Amino acid sequence: MTAPHVRLQGIRKAFGALAVLRDCDLEVEKGEVMTLLGPSGCGKTTLLRTIAGFVVPDAGSVSIGGRDVTLHPPNRRSVGMVFQHYALFPHMTVFGNVAYGLRVRRLGREEIDRRVRAALELVELAALPERWPAQLSGGQQQRVALARVLVLAPEVLLLDEPFGALDAKLRQAMQVDLRQLVRRLGITTVFVTHDQDEALTLSDRIAVMRGGVIEQVGTPLEIYDRPASTYVADFVGLSNLLPGEVRAGRIELGRSVVLPTDRTGRVTVVIRPEHLAVRRDEAGPGWPGTLTFVKHAGATTEYQVDVGGPAPLRVLAMRDPGGDLLEVGDRVRVELRDSAAWVVLGEGARP
Amino acid sequence: MSAPAVTWTDAAWVRRIVRGRGIWPAVPALLYVFVMLAVPLAVLFAFGFLTIDRGRVIPGSFTVAHYQRILTDSLSWLLFWRSFRLGVATTLLCLVLGYPVAYLYTLVGPAARKLLLIAVISPLLTSALVRTYAWLVILGGRRGLLNTVLLRLGIVDTPLRILNTDWAVLIGLTQVHLPFMILPLIAALASRDRFLEEASANLGASRLETFLRVVVPLSLPGIAAGTALVFALSYTNFIIPQLLGGGTYSTVAVKVYEQTIVILDWATGAVLAALLLGSCFVLVLLITWTANRAMAWREGTR
Repeated sequence: MTAPHVRLQGIRKAFGALAVLRDCDLEVEKGEVMTLLGPSGCGKTTLLRTIAGFVVPDAGSVSIGGRDVTLHPPNRRSVGMVFQHYALFPHMTVFGNVAYGLRVRRLGREEIDRRVRAALELVELAALPERWPAQLSGGQQQRVALARVLVLAPEVLLLDEPFGALDAKLRQAMQVDLRQLVRRLGITTVFVTHDQDEALTLSDRIAVMRGGVIEQVGTPLEIYDRPASTYVADFVGLSNLLPGEVRAGRIELGRSVVLPTDRTGRVTVVIRPEHLAVRRDEAGPGWPGTLTFVKHAGATTEYQVDVGGPAPLRVLAMRDPGGDLLEVGDRVRVELRDSAAWVVLGEGARP
Repeated sequence: MSAPAVTWTDAAWVRRIVRGRGIWPAVPALLYVFVMLAVPLAVLFAFGFLTIDRGRVIPGSFTVAHYQRILTDSLSWLLFWRSFRLGVATTLLCLVLGYPVAYLYTLVGPAARKLLLIAVISPLLTSALVRTYAWLVILGGRRGLLNTVLLRLGIVDTPLRILNTDWAVLIGLTQVHLPFMILPLIAALASRDRFLEEASANLGASRLETFLRVVVPLSLPGIAAGTALVFALSYTNFIIPQLLGGGTYSTVAVKVYEQTIVILDWATGAVLAALLLGSCFVLVLLITWTANRAMAWREGTR
């Protein structure tokens, strides 16, 4: 197996008394899109800036393409960064912005011209080389920022909340465009976001961060289906977190819901809302309760059912157009639809 | 049915003034400027065109003889050349000395910032006259502070002759006008976007290159403001050249002072003052025009 393209080992960083990164290890394979996902203040941007060289870690090492670059200054790394607000040079045209890195490298005028035009074509901005950044829309600015780094053919592409400044509709279109572009170029990409949908859309793998620690690294499906902690389960997607206790290799929940497990002690069971169903008949296994919330959102219907626990159970079902319409206040039963679709977290041995 | 009469109060600009209540609070200051500046200036300009007969000004007369006399006198051209040279040299020196200070200000912490700002502003709290006298003491003759120190330390064998030269005037002008360069530069540099410098480094530029390609061009508004201010002030200053340049040293501004206050030749004084003011205005316009051309990118933001 080849060595990972980007390797972070034991990265630690504190700003004053505040520990921002505590022992972060991360490996990104060549051509892979890795997302650092977490709420603001979790250290994801600091970790990204460590790869770019703007942050020198207190401990640990950064290597890119097998070379240790921990102490290399930012301008000596083959790493292209797209900043959160793009950081386009306002006093340079689109062409000037994209040509900047080439001019710094003292390339010939003709080569600069050729490469800038190719890069602008790549991001579909070939028609606007003479515009000033202030004359561009947010989406266009983002594409200039992208062209500006891609023109240098960096080994690694870093993106810091690149869609944060765009409105929702444009954001989705740009996400798809970016994903296709990055895949086509096969460039190793590390991408920071606090938006789980964005992470699920764009990534090959996701690193979920919390309080300066990487909690879990995995593919979007692994993260969603097998969250390593209640934090991850709660942050990525909606979940029902049910406390339970293991007795003789089994957890008993609700009425006659029995789940086998090889864990022990007190545990938390994670059940995604789409793995539950609401039934009108109260008899049978599950959780009897009262419907407290119904939302018909086009293709799906979302229910919340008060089953006497600390939080209502959330249920997500495909809407049945001809079916029985349940209303708030109805007595119902929540049923586990798919007995495989749950995760047990907590003490004891891992499955 | 007749069309409604259009009166002058319908003119857009009149309505803007009358309805825009924003103008009224500014009226006292505008009035003050008009009475205390515009009127005396008009009188001053008028004097340059009046005939003077045996020391008496004849009201209502008009002549361009004073302008003719002064503009054909090579001495006045020499004076203008000296004033211009001093203004340019002072401005460049202030820029070269002031830029690092303003840049440093944006790099240090809040406490050091406060100290720097105090250091920059505090000279403004003493009168320029007093500070200029201080330069007399420092630069003055064999027993001046500077020469005493240099001689004692054995750095020079014979005392330097600085006082009563262009150098003394340049030193004085630079010291007095430095804050006017530093403050606009601080304003321009402190508001800059640091991510641009990171982006530049990320694209491979060294610190020096980032400074030259990103920091300096984006501080152009501050450079323009400081340059215009310092040039206008040093080009027209008369106290410093008079005191530090010595008895025979003269610039246009010094000459205006002599003609008006000492010799009482008000016509010559008025013509020189008008030419000094007019040329200063043109040169400052030239500075701002050049700067605006170099900042074409700002058009896109409006």
